[in-house]
Amino acid sequence: MPLSRTRTALNRQAIYNKEMASGLILGIESSCDETAAAVVRSGSEVLSNVVASQIATHALYGGVVPELASREHLTNIVPVVRTAVAEAGITLADLDAVAVTEGPGLAGALLVGITYAKALAYGLGTPLIAVNHLEGHIHAVLMEAKETLSLASGVPVLALVVSGGHTHLYLAEERDGLWNYRNVGRTIDDAAGEAYDKSAKLLGLGYPGGPLMDFLASHGDPNAVEFKLGGIKPKLHRDGASRGGEFDFSFSGIKTAVLRYTELHSMRERAAARHNALMQVEGNRREVALALCDRETLDLIASFQKAVAGYLVKQTMRAAEEFGAGSIIVSGGVAANRALRERMSAEAATRHLQIAFPSLALATDNAAMIAAAAWPKFAAGLFASDDLNAVPQLRLG
Amino acid sequence: MLVKRFKTRSVEGTLALGPNMAEKLMPTPKLILLRGELGAGKTTLVKGIAQALTGVDPEEVTSPTFTLVHEYAGPKVHLYHLDLYRLEKEEELAALGIDEMASQPDALVLVEWGDKFQSVIQRADGQIMMRANDLDEREIFLEIL
Repeated sequence: MPLSRTRTALNRQAIYNKEMASGLILGIESSCDETAAAVVRSGSEVLSNVVASQIATHALYGGVVPELASREHLTNIVPVVRTAVAEAGITLADLDAVAVTEGPGLAGALLVGITYAKALAYGLGTPLIAVNHLEGHIHAVLMEAKETLSLASGVPVLALVVSGGHTHLYLAEERDGLWNYRNVGRTIDDAAGEAYDKSAKLLGLGYPGGPLMDFLASHGDPNAVEFKLGGIKPKLHRDGASRGGEFDFSFSGIKTAVLRYTELHSMRERAAARHNALMQVEGNRREVALALCDRETLDLIASFQKAVAGYLVKQTMRAAEEFGAGSIIVSGGVAANRALRERMSAEAATRHLQIAFPSLALATDNAAMIAAAAWPKFAAGLFASDDLNAVPQLRLG
Repeated sequence: MLVKRFKTRSVEGTLALGPNMAEKLMPTPKLILLRGELGAGKTTLVKGIAQALTGVDPEEVTSPTFTLVHEYAGPKVHLYHLDLYRLEKEEELAALGIDEMASQPDALVLVEWGDKFQSVIQRADGQIMMRANDLDEREIFLEIL
């Protein structure tokens, strides 16, 4: 690894030369559970995309580790970056820049990625680029859909970022090569993915059980139980002007409604038995879980899914109309949900809106999206300074 | 020891309990267990307390289940809202820095699902227990050691 310790952040910008550039950016992501690294060329061509849980760290370090603690990130970061560079078929010296998530996330977890990225960029003499995790999720879709979405200037894209930790609506628009964002809606309590996971837990499906709920939903009657979502009261600002909030989300109520339903229909004991039986299952639990679910439970799951997907679609479409969006992108872990994809696509089609979802590998937390989001910043020379720090509550727009 | 009981009939009622509850939780530093089932209203109660202590808009106070920790800085109190639901091991707890948080002089640390860990129970200066009764009212029981 060539080391040039005398370069400062300032002349790093000066040495950057577009003609000489390889376009290769190493992305590093460690904001929450996953330690991830990826190499992406020119913001769109994914050469490698490695997430710690996918490689054999558990074989190396004994036992599958939940990547919650910064200690796990510390253990993972070196092998993950090495694997990403090797799988891309490049050497570190080929990199044009190192990009890293600066927030939002857990301070200790973020710091592992940031410290490593800083040291690596310093050692290589390449620029360091800071990326907002939520912006990354938006670029996870943009990087794949740039060709299919005809992005006209002046017509914003509406992005729904929906996962276990986020439910946010952003207007995104490219101006002079850089992307600008405006947050127009967000959850005021639980994230959509969290409502899925917690409801799954109430039904004895384990945690996190969101994807399992999605699978089971197709086996029940979605019209069996009526759930109501929304009903957030518009609020006035101190100066009397409306602060908006009409595109916000609330998922706390449906979680409570599922709890009440299970109590009212004496489903708790069955859920506990189901939980114990599922705990014994190694590997794929889908078919076993299906066999363990009675009609009443399947109907509840199907109804829950219909209500949540419908609510996400409704709020997104209302916002798209209000802000004149020409296309919609859906990203984050819940973007993998079948009902959400189907209903969002159908509704977009009737409204003549373009729509794009990420591929499965880019839906959940990954580093390719960080490298992709860094590309426009790289081209614009928007680099992070040497004192880049973790910003746990970082906002976008 | 301080023991108080409250009952609220709506989300608004639980939010409005914030200032009263905040006052009872002074002085800092304190680590308080927040107990109650899913849907008991724990996040709603924290919204009210956070607004009273730090002036934050209650809508900005969201569930920390996925993110583990949310912080709200006020003029006199630094509020930490933790959810240990997803944690399984003591090592993970240590990595989260719960000791560092709770030892700051202006810290009020509210911990959901803290009773999963013996070390957190021992550290706690008190607890708030919440439950929804058959009338969909919220019963709130505050106990400070």
